[in-house]
Amino acid sequence: MSLDLSLYLPIAGNSVNCLAILGLGGLVGLLSGIFGVGGGFLMTPLLIMLGIPPTVAAASDSNQIVGASTSGTFAHFKLGNVDFKMGLLLLVGGVAGGSLGVQIIKILRALGNADFLISITYVLMLGFVGGYMFLESLQAMRKSSAPKVEEAPKQESRYARAIGKLPFQMDFPRSGVRLSLLMPLLLGVLVGVLAAIMGVGGGFIMVPVMVYLLRMPMHVVVGTSLFQILFTCVNVTIMQSVQNHTVDFVLALLLLIGSSIGAQVGTKVGKKLGGEQLKICLATLVLAVMVKMLYDLLARPDVLLAYMGGH
Amino acid sequence: MKSVTFRNLALAALCLLAASLFSVPAHAAGITIQTTPPSVVMGAQYDGAPLTISGTVPEGSDVVLRFTGAPADMHLREKGKLFGLLWMNVGKVSVKNVPNVYLVDSSRPFEQLGAAVTSYRLEGLRDAIEVEEAAKSPDLDIAHELLLLKQGDGLYHESEAGVTLGEVVDGMQSYTATLHIPSALKPGDYRVEAVALRDGSVSGSATAPVQAVLTGFPLWLNNLAFDNGLLYGVMATLIAIFSGLAIGVVFQSKGGAH
Repeated sequence: MSLDLSLYLPIAGNSVNCLAILGLGGLVGLLSGIFGVGGGFLMTPLLIMLGIPPTVAAASDSNQIVGASTSGTFAHFKLGNVDFKMGLLLLVGGVAGGSLGVQIIKILRALGNADFLISITYVLMLGFVGGYMFLESLQAMRKSSAPKVEEAPKQESRYARAIGKLPFQMDFPRSGVRLSLLMPLLLGVLVGVLAAIMGVGGGFIMVPVMVYLLRMPMHVVVGTSLFQILFTCVNVTIMQSVQNHTVDFVLALLLLIGSSIGAQVGTKVGKKLGGEQLKICLATLVLAVMVKMLYDLLARPDVLLAYMGGH
Repeated sequence: MKSVTFRNLALAALCLLAASLFSVPAHAAGITIQTTPPSVVMGAQYDGAPLTISGTVPEGSDVVLRFTGAPADMHLREKGKLFGLLWMNVGKVSVKNVPNVYLVDSSRPFEQLGAAVTSYRLEGLRDAIEVEEAAKSPDLDIAHELLLLKQGDGLYHESEAGVTLGEVVDGMQSYTATLHIPSALKPGDYRVEAVALRDGSVSGSATAPVQAVLTGFPLWLNNLAFDNGLLYGVMATLIAIFSGLAIGVVFQSKGGAH
């Protein structure tokens, strides 16, 4: 130990190795830049493994995501990949859904067994989203290599007709789609509810929603998702600081330095990868997290007691 | 106080002061205890700290040292199997009288020290811990799982034969040991206790208070976070946004060819 890299974090109440935190931030930032997900569903469990209390890990991660998504949004904005109109509508829906979700979780907790529902929701959502994206991208990649068959429009037509009938149609030029105003609002609420129940930013649900239900092009999806996550996490950081004092700003800054650099690299990597490759990578990642969570549910824990907090 | 300090002139100034303040003679045996440094100072570089404990016990005694915090209530989640398949948080367990930290060491292996030493070992905490809200599963050994949890954090630690016995002067034997204070220690008041054992029974003990205090940057940050949460939250957010933008700009100018 020629160089002492340990740093004491007063809010977390423990010391950490600076390099470990920087590396962790870099890795998650890279994924965040490539896929437009906040990475909260990866970062928080990893921080807990490094000895940070669950509540502090989750809150500080939100603070870090503020910086990471600023950096990511900025990079995507320069590339013209942020649909502000769509992002704002999703955000309004998301905030409403988030408040609703917090109430739902309160009721569930009062009824008991909320934790069970949270874990099951997690596994099912991750499995469904990851599995669907994976299969869909695999098919698309096969199709593009085979001779082109004109069957795609026929498949989409029923869903397209249904959403075409909704009122308040408007153009979203940046995404190149025409949709009802209600679509992003309602889907925003749905994602907000799920995100609040699961205690995550919701990026990994929002991305598939934008791709499959709003029919937005993948690259615009990533930029817009980051834009929306930025606001969600500003809100969470301030709320957590005021109510629970669980934001460790030093931890967040270290993660941020790593993740901001990672996000910049990730944005460039994401641009080089094709849309289908991008989707299949994200699907694999989501499925991997799902398998880990399922394993945790099935395997006997080392210790049968846990500290309160987290979820 | 002056008369006390004059007796200890041979010691260095700091130890001398500490000794005069903290030496608590117990029983007629005159067991003494002092710590170096006198308090645990937690600055930006704090990563746990060695705490050297020394003093004297009557000649021929063995020594057990323990470092503990004030016992407190604790609420924990109980993990259990649901539907015979899934491991979940199935309930809440409340326990009383749990010290936040418990470090113990001895001058000889515990098994050579007789039955009296058992209550000072980690397993001895079993008797002290009171279960207030019991586990749903009747088989769950709460004290055992709690000890495992705390040991995993480094907050509970038991070692043996780490206390070195030194010279005998005027029928009093000196001892010294270094305990490693864990990095997850919370700031607050703790105490260290020296227990003298002779022929398998406790012959006396002495305690000294040890404070764990934040200093420098961690202290400043902690105060801001707890005294002015809104300001702290806004500051954390703004710095994050600013840093994100700054890094974005740096990358933009470097990767100009894009």
